[in-house]
Amino acid sequence: MSNHSEAAFEKQPMWAGGRSPFNISYGKLMMWIFLLSDAFTFSSLLVQYGAQRFSNVQTAVTTKWPDPASIFNHFPLMHGFHLPLLFVSVMTFILILSSVTMVLAVEAGHRNSKKEVQRYMFYTIIGGVAFLSCQAWEWVTFIHEGARLDGNTFGITKEGYDHLHSVSFGSHFEWDKAVDRTNGPVPFAALFFIVTGFHGFHVFSGVVINVIIYIMTARGVFERRGHYEMIEKAGLYWHFVDLVWVFVFTFFYLI
Amino acid sequence: MEFHSTPGEYDAINYVPHTESHGTKELWKTFWLLLGITILDFVIYFVMGQSGIRNVIFILFGLVKAYYIVGAFMHMKNEKVNLAMIIIVPTVFIFGLIWVMLYEGGAITDLHTHDVNKVQTEVHK
Repeated sequence: MSNHSEAAFEKQPMWAGGRSPFNISYGKLMMWIFLLSDAFTFSSLLVQYGAQRFSNVQTAVTTKWPDPASIFNHFPLMHGFHLPLLFVSVMTFILILSSVTMVLAVEAGHRNSKKEVQRYMFYTIIGGVAFLSCQAWEWVTFIHEGARLDGNTFGITKEGYDHLHSVSFGSHFEWDKAVDRTNGPVPFAALFFIVTGFHGFHVFSGVVINVIIYIMTARGVFERRGHYEMIEKAGLYWHFVDLVWVFVFTFFYLI
Repeated sequence: MEFHSTPGEYDAINYVPHTESHGTKELWKTFWLLLGITILDFVIYFVMGQSGIRNVIFILFGLVKAYYIVGAFMHMKNEKVNLAMIIIVPTVFIFGLIWVMLYEGGAITDLHTHDVNKVQTEVHK
């Protein structure tokens, strides 16, 4: 754009209509608005989680909310060992890495480099699929241990609590000693499935969008259009999914 | 209408974006930062026992990660301030809701424990 038309444009009143006061395209603005509404959706789920958790604190009468360390301590091919937080950290790493490749694709798009956009989009898709595979494994393990949407077999007994805090990282973990199979707060399993499921569905949608964008890039649609802004829009969505995972990771696994 | 912008340049629908690269240096810096904080999360989880302070640290780390993801990866730092405001300010109200619901959840625990004295004192206050 020429400096002349830019100068003329700057004289136009900001909110008089006919221009974007936010100085971004319609599509990007709408993506931001969508992400804001999606942020509220996830917040409502996480607020539910917090409220349920605080109403199930262990006392003389109520059962304790299960310690995540006693449940999410599996790692593929390492059955029976106490490895809390390890697998989910690997998942977090995968998602951060795919976020970087996504933003590198956006950067390559700014330079109109079709080949690089294609390459980084490919890496991003691989990262998304890897994350989904990890999540599928985690769900299968969790369901195998007896968790259901309407039931939770993870109550914590006094002995279980002591056992949990006496086993060290990487040592053998005795499930039957640690977990009270008959008594656990139901919302724990339900909220785990709903929140991680909802997030996983977002990742899945992101992968589908990325595949479509990849094909469009390969067919030269954006090259003919003259700009790669579509990568930016998909990127905004993808980073948002990463952002949500940061909080799911914090509230479900760390705290 | 006396509005004279070139079609396709300034109107929101047919906007042609700037194609300006800011380089990859900052992006990789952000990546190492996010990775470092996640590793720190992992370490703190095992070094510190479960406590309120540890939870506060985890939440603060989460907010720092959020700042870098939104700022650097989503390029919010390069957007106009008024856009950043309409997106970020509404989310601040979520924290109020979290605070209220955690308090209510704690009150339910008190009811379950039949801690009548505590509940009544709360009511009569």
